[in-house]
Amino acid sequence: MDKKTCWIVIFLSLAVNVVMLQWTVEAYFGLEYERVYLFTSIACLSVLAALAAFFRWRNLEYKEKK
Amino acid sequence: MDNKKKLARNKYETNDDMINLIDNLNRDDDVKYNRRAFLKTAVGASVTLGLATLPFSIKAMMNTAGEDDKRIAIAKLSEISKGQSLNFNYPTDEDPAILVHTKDGKFVAYNNKCTHLQCPVFYEKEQDVLLCPCHKGYFDVKSGHPLAGPPQRELPRIELEIVDDTIYAVGRKVRHG
Ligand code: FES
Repeated sequence: MDKKTCWIVIFLSLAVNVVMLQWTVEAYFGLEYERVYLFTSIACLSVLAALAAFFRWRNLEYKEKK
Repeated sequence: MDNKKKLARNKYETNDDMINLIDNLNRDDDVKYNRRAFLKTAVGASVTLGLATLPFSIKAMMNTAGEDDKRIAIAKLSEISKGQSLNFNYPTDEDPAILVHTKDGKFVAYNNKCTHLQCPVFYEKEQDVLLCPCHKGYFDVKSGHPLAGPPQRELPRIELEIVDDTIYAVGRKVRHG
């Protein structure tokens, strides 16, 4: 994964999480609990993806200087 | 001074601490650092938003235990004639609800907390609609869906059953059609 891909993954994950939070709240107040769980798991996966991409990016970014 | 002529510790990008203090005065680095900070903020925001969905799941898990569809007698058929409505509570005492005998003879029931800002919703006989007086929100009496005004979501529908001449509430659908 190069740095550009990391950037893309991180911003995609940000977009996904904004939507997921909105949908989770909606589903929660609609008492549709299966959907709450579904959206939470998607959000968590997307958090993991963002973190993975971030650590990868950090590696590349700070390696350059040496 | 030319970079090459400097003492080793004074050279650009040396690891010497005192020199590194002014490292970020360099414009190129400034741009880079800003971009880095931007990306880090984005990661932080994404993680925060993602994790903010967790409490809802946890609360949902704690709630599922009590959400059993129970059966409650609301009223006798004779107590409520066409065009009349009646208030009751379902599924718990904190959930106000309204039972309506519509003009065309059907029985419908909804939780009558307005889905806008929770004012109580009334049955308006003349226009055959459910009306929220707070901000003039109108709901379709047949489906519970908002017709006009600020409400965006439907009223939770309470499922009814009529046995002999008693009307029972037997379940609730918060999101429907
Ligand atoms: S509370 Fe019902 S319309 Fe605002």
